[in-house]
Amino acid sequence: MGSNRSIEHCRWWYEKLLRLYPRPFRERFGEGMAQSFDDLCRERRSKGRGLFRLALWVFGETLVGIIRENITHMPKTVLRVALGALAALMVPLIASQFVPDWHWGVSGFAVAYVAFFLVGMGYAVISRRMGAWSYKAGVGLALAAGFGLAWSNMVHVTGTENPTLFLYFSVLAVGVIGAGLARLNAGGLARTLFAMAAVMLAISMLLPSGAPPDMARRMAIGHAGLVVVFAASGFLFRHASAHSVK
Amino acid sequence: MANGPLTPAVLHILLALSTGERHGYGIMKQVEADSQGTVKMGPGTLYGSLGRMMEAGLVRETDKRVDPEMGDERRIYYELTSAGRAALEAELDRYRGVVAVAKKRFAYGQ
Repeated sequence: MGSNRSIEHCRWWYEKLLRLYPRPFRERFGEGMAQSFDDLCRERRSKGRGLFRLALWVFGETLVGIIRENITHMPKTVLRVALGALAALMVPLIASQFVPDWHWGVSGFAVAYVAFFLVGMGYAVISRRMGAWSYKAGVGLALAAGFGLAWSNMVHVTGTENPTLFLYFSVLAVGVIGAGLARLNAGGLARTLFAMAAVMLAISMLLPSGAPPDMARRMAIGHAGLVVVFAASGFLFRHASAHSVK
Repeated sequence: MANGPLTPAVLHILLALSTGERHGYGIMKQVEADSQGTVKMGPGTLYGSLGRMMEAGLVRETDKRVDPEMGDERRIYYELTSAGRAALEAELDRYRGVVAVAKKRFAYGQ
């Protein structure tokens, strides 16, 4: 029952589980934890016993440890993100003082703060998966561009009630589904971001804007900007993927 | 960590390391032996506690080397610091005090 193959299989899954620890903890103790788990499995096998109960127990108590370590590391991150979101909120808050038609009200700013905070937390959680600067930069660019696209689209949908604008959400859907399928690995995220850039480009070329020339020019610039940013993020993830292989 | 009563996991790890440096699996086995098999410490509890104990200056890493009895993988060894030994002695003194009080109470009860 407890053959070398099953021990290797268990260790492989245990190493996957260890990836849920905060990165500094994982880098410091991950190897030792995997070794100790391996030793426990071999000891079990030498006694002629199966690995299922041992694996269930160790995975359970490690999961408790993962929750504890993440909670321990989280308050500092949450505080940093909360302050960062507050700083970001200053931009619309100050800008609204100078733009005549900007009337958000308290609820508008509250929604904006929550949105900034969620994007910031998304960055904090995802970017810690890899130490490479290009991975972190790629996550930052992708989230910023995705947020910008979602926000401007929400504003335009609300303002014009044009249902074709919902097509833009397909870009975000590609991003969410692609990131899920890629399990946030750099190589998969690179392909996802290139796909998002391609969908964005296709929409901007195929969707009839019906807008006045001046507005259409501004939209084209905005679309081109998003395509470039999504593609740049894709290249950063590709760089991170190559870096992780070396 | 070193000022108040220690958690059972920390006390067991300090005890396991009191006779010399050990790697992670070695600590687990020593804890099991010290407790006559009643305490089984998994990697999650052990390394979480080691991390906090290292932050508190109670233990430190020594080196990374092969354990001749455990195959050819190199392992990180841990040992007590002087603060760790002092914390263990203080905790054992506290236990001795508790036992002394309990013995007195038991004697009066008889």
